[in-house]
Amino acid sequence: MKSVIKTIALATTVAATPLMVATTASAAGEKYILVSHAPDSDSWWNTIKNGIALAGEQLDVEVEYRNPPTGDLADMARIIEQAAASGPDGIITTLADFDVLSGPIRAAVDQGIDVIIMNSGTPEQVREVGALMFVGQPEYDAGYAAGLRAKGDGIGSFVCVNHVISNTVVAERCRGFADGLGIDLGSQMIDAGQDPAEIKNRVQAYLNANPETDAVLTLGPTSADPTKLALEEMGLAGDIYFGTFDLGDEIVKGIKDGIIQWGIDQQPFLQAYMPVVVLTNYDRYGVLPGNNINSGPGFVTKDGLTKVEEFAGKYR
Amino acid sequence: MSQPIIQMREIEKHFGSVIALAGVSVDVHAGECHCLLGDNGAGKSTFIKTMSGVHKPTHGEILFEGQAMHFADPRDAISAGIATVHQHLAMIPLMSVSRNFFMGNEPIKSIGPLKLFDHEYANRVTMEEMRKMGINLRGPDQAVGTLSGGERQTVAIARAVHFGAKVLILDEPTSALGVRQTANVLATIDKVRKQGIAVVFITHNVRHALAVGDRFTVLNRGKTLGTALKGEISPEELQDLMAGGQELAQLEGSLGGTV
Amino acid sequence: MSQATQAVGSDERVKQISSLRKALIRPELGGMCGTVIVFVLFFIFAGDSGMFNAQGVMNWTTVSAQFMIIAVGACLLMIAGEFDLSIGSMIGFAGMMIAIFGVTLGWPMWAAILITFALCLAIGALNGYIVVRTGLPSFIVTLAFLFILRGFTIFLPQLIERKTIIGGIRDAAEGDWLAPIFGGKILTGLFQWFGDMGIIATFTRGTKQGQPVVEGIPMLVVWALFLVFVGHFILTRTQFGNWIFASGGDAESARNSGVPVNKVKICMFMFTAFGAAVFAACQVMEFGSAGADRGLLKEFEAIIAVVIGGALLTGGYGSVIGAALGALIFGVVQQGLFFAGVESSLFRVFLGVILLFAVILNTYIRRIITGER
Repeated sequence: MKSVIKTIALATTVAATPLMVATTASAAGEKYILVSHAPDSDSWWNTIKNGIALAGEQLDVEVEYRNPPTGDLADMARIIEQAAASGPDGIITTLADFDVLSGPIRAAVDQGIDVIIMNSGTPEQVREVGALMFVGQPEYDAGYAAGLRAKGDGIGSFVCVNHVISNTVVAERCRGFADGLGIDLGSQMIDAGQDPAEIKNRVQAYLNANPETDAVLTLGPTSADPTKLALEEMGLAGDIYFGTFDLGDEIVKGIKDGIIQWGIDQQPFLQAYMPVVVLTNYDRYGVLPGNNINSGPGFVTKDGLTKVEEFAGKYR
Repeated sequence: MSQPIIQMREIEKHFGSVIALAGVSVDVHAGECHCLLGDNGAGKSTFIKTMSGVHKPTHGEILFEGQAMHFADPRDAISAGIATVHQHLAMIPLMSVSRNFFMGNEPIKSIGPLKLFDHEYANRVTMEEMRKMGINLRGPDQAVGTLSGGERQTVAIARAVHFGAKVLILDEPTSALGVRQTANVLATIDKVRKQGIAVVFITHNVRHALAVGDRFTVLNRGKTLGTALKGEISPEELQDLMAGGQELAQLEGSLGGTV
Repeated sequence: MSQATQAVGSDERVKQISSLRKALIRPELGGMCGTVIVFVLFFIFAGDSGMFNAQGVMNWTTVSAQFMIIAVGACLLMIAGEFDLSIGSMIGFAGMMIAIFGVTLGWPMWAAILITFALCLAIGALNGYIVVRTGLPSFIVTLAFLFILRGFTIFLPQLIERKTIIGGIRDAAEGDWLAPIFGGKILTGLFQWFGDMGIIATFTRGTKQGQPVVEGIPMLVVWALFLVFVGHFILTRTQFGNWIFASGGDAESARNSGVPVNKVKICMFMFTAFGAAVFAACQVMEFGSAGADRGLLKEFEAIIAVVIGGALLTGGYGSVIGAALGALIFGVVQQGLFFAGVESSLFRVFLGVILLFAVILNTYIRRIITGER
C-alpha cells in the first residue's frame, strides 16, 4: 500500500524531471551554479534568476539557481557544499556571512572549481576565499559617487534615512555620500526603523527640526516610499533634493514625477549575467578581466526611465 | 458473615453549595458483589470517587479492613488494594495488551544500572491472566483497540486483579455493551468474586445487577435508601427506588411495563 | 510465552489479519520502504551526478543528520501527545546564546555551551509546565515561544553588538575541550587513508592539497546516531518508554493507571529542547557564527520527518527509528532533487506530496490498529 503510493509519487516527480531540466538548462558542456542567500520570498532576486538564465541561453551553458528557502545561511553553506559535490565548472555565490560561507567556498575552490562572488562581500574577503573576482556594487563607492553627483548639483547638507541600522554594509552608503559631499556625516543619519508610519514621522520630525536640510537620501524602497509620502505631506516634494538607493515601483514613479532626482541601481542583472560570461570565457579561452566588476552604481534619472519601466522586475 | 472489608459511614460530600452526597452508608464484603444502583445524577460517581480516594468526604468516615483510612490520592487507594475500573477504561487503544496491562506498574529487569521494561515477563503474564479470564489473545502485542468492548473490560478487570486488588470498583462496565458482551463481563465479575475479591458494581440496569449481585444499594439524590440482600427485593422494587418512586410507576404503566 | 502462543494458535481469529496487514502496522515499515525507494530512484536518476561520491554522500548524510537530531525529540514528544513549534526558534536562540556568552562576554566556550544547554532545558521545561498546567494545546503555547525566542534572538545581539550575526565563535572555541564534541570530526585518519588510497577524491590545489575532500565524520552525524539510539532504546525498552506511549495515547487513562503524565510530558519537552540545543551547538561550531535567522521553519521539518516516519499526529503511536528514516528520506530527497537536476522550488511540492501520503497512510494504519471503521 505505502510502497505503491510512494512509487507513484516519486514516479510522477521523476517523470516531470526531464521537462524541468529542459527549462533550466540548455546543456552545452559548461555548468555553473549560482547560490544566493535570499529566501524564496525575496522578489528582488528574480532579476538575478533571469540574468543567469539569459546568460546561459546566450552562451549555451548550463546554469542553475539555488537558494536556501528560508534564507538560513547555514542551509546556504550546505547548498554550496552540495553544489561543489556535483562537480560544476564554476560556482557564483554571495558572501553574506564570511564566517559561515568562507569554509565551503574555500573547499570548492581547493577542489578546482572556479568561484565568483557576487552582490555581497568585500574585495579583501573575496581574495581571502580564493575567488576569481567580485561582481557587485561596492557600497561605499556607490555612496561616494552619489555624493559627488549631489555636490555638483549644489547640495551642502542632507539626511540619510536608514531603515536597516543594524546592517553595517548598507550604512556605508551614507558614509560614502557624506564623504562625496565633502562634509561630516555627524548626526545626519537617522535610524528610521522598518515601519512605514514610523519612517514617515521620523523624516518629518527631522526636517521640522532641521529646516535648512538640502537633500534626503534613502537606502531602499522600504525607506524611500514613506519618505516620499512625508515630503508630499510637508509640501516639500519636488522642492527638496531627493536621491535613493535601489529601485521599486514607487521610486520609479517618483522619478517620473520629478520628486526623486535619481535612483541608484546596483543592477542585479549584471551581478548574475557578468559572472556567467566571465566564467564561460575563462573556461573556453582562458581570458579573465583583471579587476572586480562594479555592477553599480547605475544612476536612473528621468531620462532613462523607459527601459526601466519596460523591464522592471524582469531585468531591472 | 465476616467483617466488611470497607465500611462507609454517613458519607457526605459537598461541592461548594451543591450537596452531592447527603449521608450515605454502605458496607462492602469480601467475595461478594455489591451492586450500587442509581439513576444519572444520583451521586454514584461521587460515591465511588470518594471510595477510591479521588475525593475526600466532607463528613463521615471510611473504614478499610476495620481501620479508619485517609487516602491522599488514588495511588494510596490502589496500593491499599482498592482498584477502580473506570467508565473509560484506562486502556489505551493504540498500545498492545501487554503494555496496557502493565501500564504504570511496568515490570523492571535490571541490567547493570539500566532499568529495562521486562517485555518477556509482561507478555507471559498477560497471556496467562487473559486465558484465566477466558479470553484468547492473538498475541500479547495485539493492540487493545482491536478488542471488543467486553474484552477490554475484561482486560481492565484482569489487570486490577493481577495487581492485588481486594476491592474492585466497576463503574458502569456494562452500560455501552451489547447483550453477549454484557454476559461475558457479568461472567468475569462472577469469576472475580469467587476469588474472594469484593466487587462494587455500579450500574443503572436492574437486570444486570440482579444477575450477579449479592447486595443492592440504591442511591437517589445523594441519599441511600438502605441495602437489600439478594432475594429480598424484586426488580420492580429496585426500579421504583432508583427513580424515587412515584413518577416512574406512572410512566411504567403508560409504557406497558417495559422500562 | 511460547506455550501461550501455541494455546492461542487454535483461536479462530488468528487468520483474521494477513501477514501483510500485520507488517504494515509496524510504524517504521513505511519509512523503510520509502528509504529503499528513494535510494533506488536517485541511484537511477542521479547516480552519476556526484550524489554518491564521497562528498555527495557526506552532503546528504549531514543534512539528514541535522533533521534526525531534531526529529528524535519531536518524535518522542509527539508520541507523548504534544507538539513543539518552538524547535526552530530554539535553534536560533541556542546558537545566539553560545555566541553571546562565548564571544561577546568572552566566557570559556565550554561554560557558554553548558549554560546554553541549561537555559534551553529550562525553557523546554517551562514550555511543558505551561502546557500541563494550563491544559492549553501545546500548539498554542509553543507557537508563543516560537515568537518569543525568535524575538530575543534578534533583539539581544542587536542590543549588545548592534548586529544580527555574531561571528568569531571558531576562534573563541580554539583549544576548548567541549567544543570539539559538537564541531569536531572523527575518523579523520581513516579518511586520510582513503584519500591516499584513492578511494575518495582529494583537493587538487590550495592549502588543503592532498587532503581528502571529506575529512571525517562530523560530530553532527555521531550525535544524530547517538540520539536515535538513545531515543529508540528509551521508547521501546524502558518503563519510561511505556509511559511515553501511555501519556500520548490517552493522558486521562494513563493518569488513572498511575503514570506520572505531567512529568513525562515535561521531560519530553526538555528532550526536544535538548535536541535543538545540540543542533545549534553543532551548527555554530561548524560555521563559526550565530545568526538571528538560523533554524527558521526547522520545527516543521522536524514534524514532517516524524510524520513521514509513521508517528501519529494525535500521539500514542510512533517509532524513533521511523522518525530517523523519515529524516533520512527528507534529507536525501531535498539534496537529491538538486543532484537529479530538478528545479529547486519544486522541492516543496514534492515534500507536500510525501507528507500528505504519509498522513493518509498513518490514518489508515490507526484504523487497522484500533479497529475503527
